[in-house]
Amino acid sequence: MNQTEPVAITGLGCICAAGDTVDACMEALFRGDRAPAPPVRFRTTHPNPFPVFEIKGFADRPGLLRTSALGLQAAHEALADAGLNQDALDGLRVGVCVGTTVGSAMNDEAFCRAYRAGEDPDLAPIDCILSSNPADVIAREFGFTGPCQTVVNACSSGTDVIGLGASWIASDICDLVVVGGADELGRITYNGFIALKIADETPCKPFDAHRKGLNLGEGAAILILESERSRHQRQCKARAFMLGYGSACDAYHQTAPKPDGEGLKRAIAEALACHDTPASAVAFVNAHGTGTPDNDRVESHALASVLPGVPFFSTKGYTGHTLGAAGAIEAVFTVACLEQGRIPGNAGFTTPDPTLGALPVCEPMNVAGTIALSESLAFGGNNAVVLLGRGERS
Amino acid sequence: MDTKTKLKKALADELNLPELTGEGYNDDAALFGEGLGLDSLDAVELVIVIQKHFGIEIKDMDEGKTAFTSINTLAAYIDKRLSA
Amino acid sequence: MTRITVQGIGVFGGFGTGVQAFVHALESRPVPPSVQPIPTGHGPMDLAAFRADLTPLEALVPARTLRRMDSFSKMALLGAHLALTDAGIEPANQAGLGLIIASGFGATTTTTYALLDSIARDGDVCTSPIHFANSMHNTCAANISLQIGATGPNLTVSQFHLSVPSALLTARQWLLEGRVERVLFGAVDELSDLIGYLWLRQRGEVNHGPMRPLATGEESAIPGEGAAFFVLSARDEATPGYCTLENVSTGRRPGLVKGDSELLILGADGRREFGAAYAAAAEGAEVACFTPHYGSMPPGPAFDMAAAALMLREKRAFASPEHSTCDFRASLLSPGAPITVDRMTCLTLACEQGFGRIELGRL
Repeated sequence: MNQTEPVAITGLGCICAAGDTVDACMEALFRGDRAPAPPVRFRTTHPNPFPVFEIKGFADRPGLLRTSALGLQAAHEALADAGLNQDALDGLRVGVCVGTTVGSAMNDEAFCRAYRAGEDPDLAPIDCILSSNPADVIAREFGFTGPCQTVVNACSSGTDVIGLGASWIASDICDLVVVGGADELGRITYNGFIALKIADETPCKPFDAHRKGLNLGEGAAILILESERSRHQRQCKARAFMLGYGSACDAYHQTAPKPDGEGLKRAIAEALACHDTPASAVAFVNAHGTGTPDNDRVESHALASVLPGVPFFSTKGYTGHTLGAAGAIEAVFTVACLEQGRIPGNAGFTTPDPTLGALPVCEPMNVAGTIALSESLAFGGNNAVVLLGRGERS
Repeated sequence: MDTKTKLKKALADELNLPELTGEGYNDDAALFGEGLGLDSLDAVELVIVIQKHFGIEIKDMDEGKTAFTSINTLAAYIDKRLSA
Repeated sequence: MTRITVQGIGVFGGFGTGVQAFVHALESRPVPPSVQPIPTGHGPMDLAAFRADLTPLEALVPARTLRRMDSFSKMALLGAHLALTDAGIEPANQAGLGLIIASGFGATTTTTYALLDSIARDGDVCTSPIHFANSMHNTCAANISLQIGATGPNLTVSQFHLSVPSALLTARQWLLEGRVERVLFGAVDELSDLIGYLWLRQRGEVNHGPMRPLATGEESAIPGEGAAFFVLSARDEATPGYCTLENVSTGRRPGLVKGDSELLILGADGRREFGAAYAAAAEGAEVACFTPHYGSMPPGPAFDMAAAALMLREKRAFASPEHSTCDFRASLLSPGAPITVDRMTCLTLACEQGFGRIELGRL
């Protein structure tokens, strides 16, 4: 990748089971709170319901998918955090790049079921999907006129969007890019991950010897990427800087990661190379760490080989796996950790697994460095990595 | 229909493997790897197929792995579970 | 600045399969749509549509490769093979190749039928993992990367009718940044029963043809399906390729300027709600419109781009079918006339004043 200036991150927003703001999430992470429970929002006929990380008390918006409503809430928080009101936004070229897995699929279960049963069901659920493209919804809400891109790269989407959006800033396509991810819990993904035998019937245990799989979660996170010109004009300090993005495909299997982690290693190398960041400068890694046997094995070995000794942790023990939102939520956490100079413990980890390449951080700890890495692995063999640097506010 | 015939038909339909019901398929041939070329995603589908068609739940994938060696081993496993 | 060229094109749809079939269609009258029954609450209803034929794929890849693939992935794989072959690139061992897929609706057949059926019929515990995996939007990108060994960056974008310009914007960025030297870029959508049914419900009357997209006050849309793939390169390639990719922009109306392009390829596709906007954008310009060859579908702009690329390389114009019905002031490209312009812009308009502009240049 060509060298470009670091791209400033001037606002953050997040909602997930850990909390409905960035601050609330970080407090929960450092308290070690987590409360996965059987799903409430949908019914399941599984004899022993698998626990999930559901958001409690979120008011859905009529006519809008919950996924997109979650994205909007995070966008409002992030734009306010960046100090951008509607007047300020109106003068800027603003793009939107949002990752999701379910946010644009034509899979309304009740509608499809009725149609398949030979009925002519009401089109309202389809109209809802068609007006709920997560990127469009944010652009519409704030009247943005720049490019809109909904990334459907499965579970790496929320990391990919940060790199793609930064590229629009670096090449002056936009003054501001609203990037992030959003995904709601649903019966189809719930059943799907259980059927793939990568869901845990108990609270997930990333990187633990007894890990059995993931718990699904839901949520959204938004980061505001801003050009130097724009933020200097309004004298806005950066919360963090986007220092690098890397992505690579395993081209190995439809759903399983490549055992040697070669694609992940290439993605990390590309992210580091963007600004010639030495591996030794990385203070910590917010890992993908889903809690599935395969993912955690591959990821721990890749980290041990390219970032030996660098502390790492998964925050999915606090949020569940939020799929298309995960990368964005974890990037937000990474920025907040850089600001606070400390990282949380890896929830769910108690027993070291001798077959892993490295062990995660068990307890909250202080970190001194100013650069951190957040990574995602996805179905289809996608690996995506962002390198984030501490900003000017801490 | 005996277990093996029913099994082969179910797998042929659900995993899109018409060769299973064709003449001369070797019921001892490996289902995974070099044989039919099935992989980990097929393995979890197999679990569902067996649950759906035979009402047998395979909770432990390691137990499944031995049973999934060939059509003959799988048919024997199903018969054993059904008579248990 | 890095020059991006279009090195290969892989297209198929209602007109047939491959660049030659496409050129043949562009040179003559559109192949009429085929009529197929779509299940509805009132029993089957006929829908005229431009349907794609997947049988050519069987000759290109072994049956076992296709075993688990649904029709959506197969369409994408066929598009990928055609484009790579057209560019003279072997569809294997493409380490480092970037891959970007644009799809408006994704794998709707699998999602609506196979996956939901497996849950509805046998309960949550019998959800099919294969159908679940296939229902992911990016599964077709995964299948292509597996088949051709594409280990570079891999991206799938879904922005309904602006999927193509949105995704192409990123393809261009990757090439300009030097992240990759080549990108396999493809647009694909299938006309599943669900999409056909929604078409009938939302648009009412069935048009059996022809489409008259330049009669912008009329409704004449016919749905289509298919794929249009391109090999985009920032390399110094041995073969000259079709044209250059000069610029891509997308957003909402205030950014839409007519620009200095000498020829507008209109994505107008007979959906009346967009007619007036196309007429206004193209007023007084030299225009062409080829949608009656492939129909109305989210990948449409990629077919527009393929037609423009072919005109730029062959330096001759294709006639816009049904041009005599044009109801706004514009200069229509005459069939067979030599192309002298250096730039063409494919213009797509979408709801909420959305637009996409793809600018191609002569080599």
